[in-house]
Amino acid sequence: MTKLLKIEWLKIKSYNAFIILTSFFALGVVALNYIVYSVNKNMFSQSGAAKMLAPFSPYNFDKTWQTTTYTTGWILLLPALLIMILVTNEFSFRTHRQNIIDGLSRKQFIDVKIMMTVIAALGATLIVVITALVFGWASGTPFSLTGIAHVGYFFLKALTYNMVALLIGVLIRRTGFAIGVFFIYMGLENFISQLLDVWSIKLRRDSAIDLGSMGDYLPMNAADGLLTFPDNPLKGMAKGIMPTDYTYIVWTLSVVYLLLFYWWSSNRMLKTDL
Amino acid sequence: MSILSLNNIRKNYGPIQALKGVSFDVPKGTVFGILGPNGSGKTTMLGIIMDILRPTSGTYKLFDQVPDETHRRQIGTFLETPNFYHYLSATQNLKIAAAIKERGEEDIPRVLEMVNLTQRKDSRFSTYSLGMKQRLAIASSLLGNPEVLILDEPTNGLDPVGIAEIRTLIKKLHLEGKTIIMASHLLDEVEKVCTHVAILKKGDLVATGNVNEILANEDIVEVGAADISKLKMSLERLSGYNSIREQDHLLQLFYPIGATNLESINRHCFNDDIVLNHLQLKKKSLESKFFELTN
Repeated sequence: MTKLLKIEWLKIKSYNAFIILTSFFALGVVALNYIVYSVNKNMFSQSGAAKMLAPFSPYNFDKTWQTTTYTTGWILLLPALLIMILVTNEFSFRTHRQNIIDGLSRKQFIDVKIMMTVIAALGATLIVVITALVFGWASGTPFSLTGIAHVGYFFLKALTYNMVALLIGVLIRRTGFAIGVFFIYMGLENFISQLLDVWSIKLRRDSAIDLGSMGDYLPMNAADGLLTFPDNPLKGMAKGIMPTDYTYIVWTLSVVYLLLFYWWSSNRMLKTDL
Repeated sequence: MSILSLNNIRKNYGPIQALKGVSFDVPKGTVFGILGPNGSGKTTMLGIIMDILRPTSGTYKLFDQVPDETHRRQIGTFLETPNFYHYLSATQNLKIAAAIKERGEEDIPRVLEMVNLTQRKDSRFSTYSLGMKQRLAIASSLLGNPEVLILDEPTNGLDPVGIAEIRTLIKKLHLEGKTIIMASHLLDEVEKVCTHVAILKKGDLVATGNVNEILANEDIVEVGAADISKLKMSLERLSGYNSIREQDHLLQLFYPIGATNLESINRHCFNDDIVLNHLQLKKKSLESKFFELTN
């Protein structure tokens, strides 16, 4: 695998899109969290209404894990986009064929791409952890690992985005078209997710059947659903209406979807004409 | 030892049969031409050998073994189009190829020099002309000095000087004992460069063997007389030609190149009391031979 990763590194190290998207993401994480941090500190917490809800400081330790992962979740499209470009490049340059002609096996070719999605997700997670620590300490609160599970959820979300991007890249092969399909798919999934959520509420209200928010059971929404903005006191009240915690279903489904994407993209590369 | 042996390889694209059960062996140390018009299945066949296409049925072996990626690393292959990362330079692209083939990077300057790309080695691939891309692909296949080369239309898109250089290179590599498998639709190229040939036509193997036997050129003598059957009886007693055929009220005698003597044919017939009304030597062109084999 080290050899394969070294080859991938040769492909991307002087690739502009890689450098730009990676820097955008790293800067974006810091910038986005700083905006939330300063808005909260300078405006929201000064207002009368907020004072009534206080004490609510999203970057205090024990909340910082959840806040940074949630906030950063919004720009996880960047690494996913990068993965998609890197994969579809292989198809448009026909280097996927050349790599195999030169002596990679089909399995090695797809395995290293999957490894890249894992590495990109790990990289994003590392950046988020550092950001969470910095903002946590900047808030002047004592270090705490409470809520660290959100870092795990963030990793799942990043990996899901990357794997969906990889799968669409492998299936569609053309860069522009693949990116289009990716966005259309996200829109479609969100739409269906909304319908399922409405249905969930109806079931609960009319038939007293509680299946959780079923909108969160779709692939990308499952990953999204794990990350929420820290509960403020208002949300705490809302929780009373939905007492059961379905987080474990959602993250189990996330893992199941990841395995499905893994199988699907591998199978595609192993079985078809290239 | 066979470098490559194909056993009844079939490939269907839906209802279209691209390869209809092709079998042949490529012996070690040969320059093996795969000859056929466009769409005859040459590239499909090489694609199957390189595991980028899946055969519908049939098997093949590389180096007498069940093939895997380690065999492909020992073969320098250039298939169809030059495939490189557009945003990388020649050297950067060859570093990737070398890493995949598990060959050292120190060979890169040598192969770039062999195809005259040293001066442009740091230019991006996207700035290359078609001929330069083609030469880079050949350089890549030469990385690590492999014992076997597979080249698909290697002179495509090259200027006459480039074509001559590549042909000289192939001959030189052959003299070094390397095995070269080369697909081409240019009969002339195969005849000039190859020792063996397999001819494909619409997915069928038409002929395979030594180039001199398969693409043997012949002189044709057309002979005509008032009484064709009498002429035929007379000519059947004549020796020196390979075969005789009747066409359009004329008889065609097929001679090895340069073995024709029109005078002796004329004298032979005259002695048999036949007066010829037609006697003509025709050189058979390679093209007509190609058409004959593939149409």
